[in-house]
Amino acid sequence: MRGSALIALVTLVAAAFGLPGVGAATAPHPSLPGLPDPKVMTGQPGRYGGVFLDSQQSDPSTFNPILANSTSSTGPLANVFDGLVEANGKTTDIEPGLAESWTVSKDGRTWTFTLRQGLQWADGAPVTADDVLFTFQVVYDKRIPNSAADVLKVAGQPIEVTKVNARTVQFHTAEPFGPFLREIGNASLIPQHVLRKAYDAGQFNQTWGVNTPPSQIVGTGPYKITEYRPAQRIVYDRNPHYWKVDMRGQRLPYIDHIVLTIVPNQNALRLLFQGGQADSYGVRPAEYAEFARGARAGNYTVYDGGPSFGSEFLTFNQNTASGMPGYKLRWFQAQKFRQAVSYAIDRQAIINQVYAGHAVPEYGPESPADKFFFDPHTMQYPYNLQKAAAVLAEAGFKKGTDGVLRDADGHAVQFVITTNADNPDRVAIGNIIRQDLTALGMQVTFAPEAFNTLVAKLTDSFKWEALVLGLTGGIEPADGQNVWKSSGSLHMWYPRQAKPATPWEAEIDRYFDLAATTVDQNRRRDYYNQWQEIVAEQVPLIYTAIPHAYVAVRNKFGNIEFTAFGGPFWNFPVIYIK
Amino acid sequence: MSQDAAAAPRVSASPERAGRSRTPLQLAWRRLRRYRLAVVGGVTLVCLYAAMVLAPFLAPYALDYSDRSLFYAPPVGVHLIDARGRLHLRPFVYAYRVVDASLPAYAPDTSRTYDIRFFVHGAPYRLLWLVPSDIHLLGVDSPARLFLLGTDQFGRDLLSRLLYGSAVSLLIGILVVLITFPIGMILGGIAGYYGGIIDNVIMRSVEVLAAFPSFYLLLTLASVLPPTLSSGARLFMISAVFSFVGWGGLARVLRGIVLGIRDVEFVLAARAAGLPDLRVIVRHVLPTTASYVIVAATLTIPGVILGESGLSFLGLGVQEPSTSWGLLLAQAQSIEALTQFPWLLIPGLLIVIAVLAFNFLGDGVRDALDPRQRVA
Repeated sequence: MRGSALIALVTLVAAAFGLPGVGAATAPHPSLPGLPDPKVMTGQPGRYGGVFLDSQQSDPSTFNPILANSTSSTGPLANVFDGLVEANGKTTDIEPGLAESWTVSKDGRTWTFTLRQGLQWADGAPVTADDVLFTFQVVYDKRIPNSAADVLKVAGQPIEVTKVNARTVQFHTAEPFGPFLREIGNASLIPQHVLRKAYDAGQFNQTWGVNTPPSQIVGTGPYKITEYRPAQRIVYDRNPHYWKVDMRGQRLPYIDHIVLTIVPNQNALRLLFQGGQADSYGVRPAEYAEFARGARAGNYTVYDGGPSFGSEFLTFNQNTASGMPGYKLRWFQAQKFRQAVSYAIDRQAIINQVYAGHAVPEYGPESPADKFFFDPHTMQYPYNLQKAAAVLAEAGFKKGTDGVLRDADGHAVQFVITTNADNPDRVAIGNIIRQDLTALGMQVTFAPEAFNTLVAKLTDSFKWEALVLGLTGGIEPADGQNVWKSSGSLHMWYPRQAKPATPWEAEIDRYFDLAATTVDQNRRRDYYNQWQEIVAEQVPLIYTAIPHAYVAVRNKFGNIEFTAFGGPFWNFPVIYIK
Repeated sequence: MSQDAAAAPRVSASPERAGRSRTPLQLAWRRLRRYRLAVVGGVTLVCLYAAMVLAPFLAPYALDYSDRSLFYAPPVGVHLIDARGRLHLRPFVYAYRVVDASLPAYAPDTSRTYDIRFFVHGAPYRLLWLVPSDIHLLGVDSPARLFLLGTDQFGRDLLSRLLYGSAVSLLIGILVVLITFPIGMILGGIAGYYGGIIDNVIMRSVEVLAAFPSFYLLLTLASVLPPTLSSGARLFMISAVFSFVGWGGLARVLRGIVLGIRDVEFVLAARAAGLPDLRVIVRHVLPTTASYVIVAATLTIPGVILGESGLSFLGLGVQEPSTSWGLLLAQAQSIEALTQFPWLLIPGLLIVIAVLAFNFLGDGVRDALDPRQRVA
């Protein structure tokens, strides 16, 4: 296998050496025997060999990428399977994957993908259009429970997949579908020649369980599983048929083996890393200080990937079915009230005390980590108690001589903020907010509760007044439509509305629908910018701060390009051991 | 047997003061004072409760006061000799200097000293809900801060919060005893005295109560308390919750004791004299259980203190900004707090001290009241 890489030591341009950032398009295209058009990954030329020590919490429940639905199962398969396209971990753009190119028809409903020539499964069988057809037949099969089927439905309809020739497939959607490329990339291709028989026998759900001999699990990714010991480890070997090369045209990946150790909890992960038995560890902001201090002694680097995607926010209940007295509902429905609260939150204190200073204030619904869709021009609410008091006064609220804030009808402003007690960050944020709002004369009780109690209130009884909660986000705003559309089940402040309760919620609905059925990404961005500006002005969710993503990585790797989106190992095939 | 009968031989056993006879209580007090640990426990408790009453005066800062730039600040150093080697007559502190806000790391700013002053004016408060004042025992001028035990995640003075929080931790035990014991004694007394169906009904309900895992019952009851309760009302409701869980065991033991003495002569005499049943129970039967009850009370209180700590630790006890030792200890849950901010463990130390003090005192009281025990 090393031989083929050596043959490829071609007359590779000297310019490529000096300019590792230059894309593959400008350099003459390297090729491998049988694989004329491999994908070129940028990076310094590396060394082959070595072992990567990975770790994770809890065992996988399946090795079948279609059935896997929890991170403990999808994580171990990330390096074994690929999609037609993939997101660049640095730019977050969609790039060719197994498909070398694609076109979209004028009406935005037909997508044509061409597979790379000479692609092989890890067992050497060719990858063809039939594998793509088979994969989507399985995904849309009602007997097979999988999460991909939901996101890959357009206007409730499955996407039609047809074969044009051995390397070309066509996708046809019922309506133009904006997030098409990103969602199609999430579907892992599975081999028809291995799984067809079981599928036809109706036994697909039993295939590739965790007790399958690893040699039968065949993907297109950079590694293949060679050993699995439950509750101990998963061992991977390099896939000799992988379809990416480095800038010299040598076949990737560089690292020979991965050993993934399985441990029962977060503390064990941490100890594993500190004991040198794992090469990376996801450092929580509260642990940052300790890890930063120990970086030299432990021979690791703590990467700060900038803002992450998750964020915590405060929200007020605007649901008419909440059983709150009418005057309270009117406070929470008043834009000025929510804006005043936003001005009164000392985000810098949250950043310092909760995230050890490594976070950025957040005012809108999209994280700055989303380089493409983030709109930097939304309204902002820097900490200003005078301004907050002035905005409250505009809305008729007055602070009495006893220091108590009252609305125009004389009701004292009094409410309960809750959150889930098992999340120390949220409890701390709630405490800071409570103290801030007390300064405005509001009488705020902060009462954290058990997570399940909170969820029941959020989804069933609606008997809550204010909440501190968090959502994990991603690149594609369309994934957040259950939060943002007024009919959404996670539209927390007033879920599952029959029709939008306010004009601004109707506007958001409209922009979400437009963006979902538009294929031109720049126009989609304009729609989502509108959405971000409306949310920032109306503040249904009062955002606090976005913490930075940290990962500690042992100082033994070359070509690490850490980003919040992709983490330290998004370009794993070109990472090598120094 | 009655206490008088037991006390009789003791009077003759102390010949050194033959002229004066003593009541059993005096004798017990005398014996109690000889248990060194019990005395230590008692004195500790007196100090703790005195500090609780004087908390607003002793605390340098108000309950919800925070200096947001000084979160996780270590205890301030109190010095007599300054950076230039000069001896000061008054103890003084240095102001904190932020070295790195993200660690966080602080160092004393030795350029200026701030004398610790006594009886300074500060945040207003009412002592015992009555006496308005703004005098605090200790204080320093801004920008220095007198964080004698360091600060928490929000930059709040741990010492002040410990003092304010002691009210919950120390009162809840007494409140629970005040609620539980009358109920347990009356019901246990009635069950043992009457026997039969009444006994059966009461004891079976005790068993039903005992069949629930008590801590989960506590969690359930505590979680239905409305969050808007004032901190005082909440304290009382939590005590009620503990009492609801706690009366059964006491009632059962007392029933056993009463069952054993209801046919003893002095009880029969009281009944023969025509006293109503309740009066017989309260005046003649229950007093014989006094030594058990006192001991049980001193041993119940630490249990309740621990229980409240557990509830608050899980977020179901008292609520911010009011606090208790359990809630303060909850901040020290993470490995980071343990390794980097060890002063956050001090509330745990105080819980240990209070619980030990009650246990020592309880042990001593039990021995002192036991008529079979003789102090050499």
